[in-house]
Amino acid sequence: MKKGILLASALIAGMFAGSSAQAAGRDYISIVGSSTVYPFSTVVAEQFGKTTNFRTPKIESTGTGGGFKLFCSGVGVQYPDITNASRAIKQSEYDSCQSNGVKDIVEIKIGYDGIVFANSKKSAPLKLTRKDIFLALAKNVPDPKGGDKLVPNPYKTWKDIDPALPNEKIEVLGPPPTSGTRDAFVELTMETGAKSFPFIHDMEKKDKNMFKATTQTVREDGVYIEAGENDNLIVQKLEANPHAVGIFGFSFLDQNADMIQGSLIENESPTFENIASGKYPVSRPLFFYVKKAHVDVIPGIKEYLAEFTSDKAWGNEGYLADKGMIPMDKTESEHFAEQAKDLKPLTMKQDK
Amino acid sequence: MDQPATNPAIDKVNRGLKRRYRAERRFRLCGATAVFAALCFLFILFFSIVSSGYKAFQKTFIQIDVFFDPAEFTNENLATANFPALIKASMSSRFPEVTARRDKKDLYYLISPGASFQLMKLIKNNPALIGQKERIWVSANDDVDMLLKGNIDRTRPESERRINDKQLAWLDTLAGEGKIKKTFNMAFFTLGDSREPEQAGIWGATCGSFYTLLITLSLSFPIGVAAAVYLEEFAPKNRWTDIIEVNINNLAAVPSIVYGLLGLAVFINFFGMPRSTPVVGGLVLTLMTLPIIIIASRASLKSVPPSIREAALGIGASKMQMVAHHVLPLALPGMLTGTIIGMAHALGETAPLLMVGMVAFIVDIPQGFTDPATVLPVQIYLWSDSPERAFMEKTSAAIMVLLVFLFLMNAVAIFLRKRFEIKW
Amino acid sequence: MESLFQTAESGILATAPKEKILSEVTSKTLHKARETVGDPFVENPRMTCREVNVYYGEKKAINNVNIDIARHEVIAMIGPSGCGKSTFLRCLNRMNDTIEGCRVTGDIRLDGMDIHDRNVDVVPLRARVGMVFQKPNPFPKSIFDNVAYGPKIHGLVQNKSELEEIVEASLKKAGLWEEAKDRLNQPGTGLSGGQQQRLCIARAIAVSPEVILMDEPCSALDPIATAKIEELIAELCEHYSIVIVTHSMQQAARVSQRTAYFHLGDLIEVGKTDRIFTNPRHQLTEDYITGRFG
Repeated sequence: MKKGILLASALIAGMFAGSSAQAAGRDYISIVGSSTVYPFSTVVAEQFGKTTNFRTPKIESTGTGGGFKLFCSGVGVQYPDITNASRAIKQSEYDSCQSNGVKDIVEIKIGYDGIVFANSKKSAPLKLTRKDIFLALAKNVPDPKGGDKLVPNPYKTWKDIDPALPNEKIEVLGPPPTSGTRDAFVELTMETGAKSFPFIHDMEKKDKNMFKATTQTVREDGVYIEAGENDNLIVQKLEANPHAVGIFGFSFLDQNADMIQGSLIENESPTFENIASGKYPVSRPLFFYVKKAHVDVIPGIKEYLAEFTSDKAWGNEGYLADKGMIPMDKTESEHFAEQAKDLKPLTMKQDK
Repeated sequence: MDQPATNPAIDKVNRGLKRRYRAERRFRLCGATAVFAALCFLFILFFSIVSSGYKAFQKTFIQIDVFFDPAEFTNENLATANFPALIKASMSSRFPEVTARRDKKDLYYLISPGASFQLMKLIKNNPALIGQKERIWVSANDDVDMLLKGNIDRTRPESERRINDKQLAWLDTLAGEGKIKKTFNMAFFTLGDSREPEQAGIWGATCGSFYTLLITLSLSFPIGVAAAVYLEEFAPKNRWTDIIEVNINNLAAVPSIVYGLLGLAVFINFFGMPRSTPVVGGLVLTLMTLPIIIIASRASLKSVPPSIREAALGIGASKMQMVAHHVLPLALPGMLTGTIIGMAHALGETAPLLMVGMVAFIVDIPQGFTDPATVLPVQIYLWSDSPERAFMEKTSAAIMVLLVFLFLMNAVAIFLRKRFEIKW
Repeated sequence: MESLFQTAESGILATAPKEKILSEVTSKTLHKARETVGDPFVENPRMTCREVNVYYGEKKAINNVNIDIARHEVIAMIGPSGCGKSTFLRCLNRMNDTIEGCRVTGDIRLDGMDIHDRNVDVVPLRARVGMVFQKPNPFPKSIFDNVAYGPKIHGLVQNKSELEEIVEASLKKAGLWEEAKDRLNQPGTGLSGGQQQRLCIARAIAVSPEVILMDEPCSALDPIATAKIEELIAELCEHYSIVIVTHSMQQAARVSQRTAYFHLGDLIEVGKTDRIFTNPRHQLTEDYITGRFG
C-alpha cells in the first residue's frame, strides 16, 4: 500500500516536471485540420520526419472548422502551428484569428480533391448532370409540371428525373453536414445544378437566404443517407448494395477501382487527368495555413513547408499524386511554392 | 368396491403440475437460446476479425542486389545520401530492358518507399558496406503485398487493378527466381504509425496506451480506493454523503465524451498541459474510471462480513486498524477486479481522447508521458478510415492485438481474485 | 428519492443487531421502569451499572437498569428474545457505539472509572473488556495471527518470543493448545465450529482483559463443543469476570453463579443462580423459568 502511494506521488511529480519542461518549448510541429487533407499531410509529415533530423509532426484530424478554431486560439506552443483546410479561410475565422493575436497567416494551396459519385461495378455506370443531382437530392425542387414554384421532391427513381437514366430507386450515401466534403459537394453540384433553372438563378440576387435554402437543403425523406465520416464504410456499403450511389473523395475511388466506378458528370469521368485538367467539374482546392509567428519558434516549420512544396511531393509525379491528390498546374504550384518560401501573409480586410 | 378416498387438493396440484413443468422447460429453452445466440455472435465477431486480419501478420519482401556506390556517399553525413536512387539503380540493373520513364516509375513502385530507410539504417550501423554489393530483403509495396495475399484479383481487367500487367510480369519473374518471400511481419509490432501500410505498426500506439494507462492506474486506484474507504467506513451518513453517492453513481453513466470535454477545458485550457500527450489522456481516463472503481470498491467493502469488523473492534482495534488490517485485505480482490475492469474500459476508449488531441497521426514512438502519443483503439479508428486497401487487414490485426490485451487484463483480474480471495 | 437513499442507510455494523432489536421494540410500548427484585449489587464490584437506558433512535430498548458485576464470577443474563440482554451486554464495552442511532445514558463504571467519560478511550476499554460473539468469527488468518493480533496492536510484547509465549498461554487457557499446536500456521477458519469459538476466546484473553463478555457463545455449536466451552468458562472465571448472555436456562444454571432475568428492556430479577431457578421471587421470572412463555 505504502509503496503504491510512493509510486503514485513519484509519478505525479514526474508528470508535472515533464509538463513544465513542455511549457518551455515544443520540438515538434503540431498540425490540425481537415480530414480530407489529413491523408496527404500525413504522408509529407512522415517523409519529413524520416529524411530530416526533426521530429515527425503530429497531425490531428479535427475537420476544417475545428482546425481553424484551434489554430486561431492564439500564439504560443500550446496552439497548433499549421491547420489544414479543404476550403479557403472564411472572413469570420480570419477575424477571430486577428482578435486572438494571430496576425500573420500564410495561405498555401496544395492541390485539388475531386468529389466523386460512384456506384458498384455490378451495375452500369451512371451518366449524370449537376442538374440531375440537384433534382435527385434537394429537399424542394421546381414543380415537374412546370411553373416557377417549388414543391417537395417527388422523384423516386432516376428514370423520373431523366428517361435516359436507369429505372432504379434513388439511394445516395453521403457525408453528414459536419463534413467538409458535404459543403463542397452541395456548393459544387447542387448549387450549380439549381442555377440551370432561370427562376432559381434570379433568386440568388433577389433573395439570398431563399436561394441558399433552396440549393443547399438536402432531402430528408430517406433517399439521402448520411453514412458518417468513414469513407471506407461507404465503399463497403456500395459493394453490398449495387443500386446505391456514394459520395466521397477521389482517393477512395482510386484505391477501390476494382469494386466501384465513378459516375460521369457532364459527360466527364472522374479520372486523375480529368480532375487535374479541370474537365471534371466537381473538384475543390485544398489548403493549409501557417502561423508565421511560430516559424522561428518551433523547429522545422520552414523545412516542412519546403518538403510539402517540393516537386517530389506535390508535383505531377510526386508521392502525393500517388495518394490520390490532384496536383496544381505548373504556374500555380510555382506561385504557392514561392509564397511558402517568402512566408507572405494573407491579407483580408478586417471587419470592424 | 373400496375406492381410496381421493384428496381434491392433490388432484388440483396434479392437474397444474404439467403446466408448471412446461413453463419451466420454456424458460430453460429461452435461456439456452439466448446463450447460444450470444455465443454465435461472439464467434461471428471473432471469425470476421481473424479471417480478415490474420494475413497482416505476414509481410512480403523482395530481394534486391544493392551496390552501395561510393559516389553517393561523398557527404560527411551518410543519412543525406540518395538511398532511393540506390534502390532504383538496383531495380534497373535487374530489369535492364525497362527504359521508358513511365515504366521505370511502375517498376520502382514495387518496392516500398520505406526500403530506403532500411538501407539508411544499414549504412549507419555498418559504414564499411560502402563500395560493396549486398543482397538485401526489402519490404514490398503494399499493393504488391495485397496482390500476393490474394486481395487484388489478377484476373480483373488491368484498369481495375492497382498492379498493371507489366508489374505482374516483373513480379512473376522475381517470384520465379525465389526473390519474393512472405515472412512474419515484425514491423507490425515494432514500428509506429505510417501512411505506407507496409511500414505501419502498432508499437507506437501500444506505448501510448501503456503510458496513458499507467497514469490512469496510478491515480485512479489510490484515489478510488481511498474515496471508497472513506465513504463506506468513515463518512457520516447524512444528506451530503447521500448526494455524493447519487452523484458518483450518475457519473459512472455519463457518456465518456463529456470527460473529454472536461479534460479539454480543465487540463489543457486551464492548467496548460500539453495536448495529445499521455498525461492529459491519462488524467481524462482517470476521471472516467474513478466512479467505476469507487462503486466496485464500495461494493466489495460492503460485502466484508460484519462479524469480522466486530471481532476486530471487540478486541480493541481502532477503526483505522479494523479497516487497514481486516476489511481492506478482504475487500482488495474485489477492488482489484473492479479496477482492472475499469482499466480495460479505459484501454478501449477513444471518444474522450478525441477532445484532448490524442486522435492524431504520430509516427515517432512516444518516449515518455509528455510526448505526443495515440492509443490502440485510436490507431484502429485511424486505420479503418484510411483509403489504402492494405490498412483494412491492419485494422483487423490491431483489433486482434487489442482483444488479446483485454483478455490478458481480464485473466489477471480472475487470477488476482482467485489468488487473494479468502474464504471463511 | 427515498429509495435512492436506502443503500446509504444500511450502515456497516448496523445490519444484524439493529434489525433484530428494532423489530422487537416497535411491537411494544415501554412503560415506567419496573423495580428490580433480588440483589443486583455486590461488594467490591468489577463493574457497576446505574440507571442505564439505551435508545435506538426514539425507541427505548433498555429501561433504567442497575446491576453490579463481581470479580471472578460468571453472571448469566437470560430472558425471552428481544428482552434487551444482548443490547445491555454490548453497553459494557461500548460496542453499541458502532451502531448508528444508538444512544446510551446512565453511568457504567469499570473499577470506578466511568467508561463514557470523555477522557476514556474506547480502544483500551475494549482491551480490558473483551468480547466473544454468537457466531465464531476468527480472522481469515492463521491461528497464530488470530491470537497474536490483539497483543500486537496494543503493543503488549517487545519481541517474537514474548508473542509466542502469550499465544501459547492464551491457547492453553482456552483449551485449544493441544489441538492447535501443530497447525499454528494454518488458517483459523479451517477449524471446527467449537474450536473456532475457543480460538475466539483465546484471542480475547490474549490481551489480558478483566471482563469477558459472551454473547450466546454456544448457540451455533453442537452439544459436545458446547460442553467444552462451558467447562472452559468455569475455568476462566478464576481469572476473569464473565458476563454470558444465553437463551438456554440450563446453560445459565450450569455455568453461572449469578443470574439476571431481563424482560422487555427491564431487569426483573437478579440473584444467586440456585435461588433464581429454585425460588424465583418475581412472577415473570417464575413464569419464564417454568416455561409458561419464552
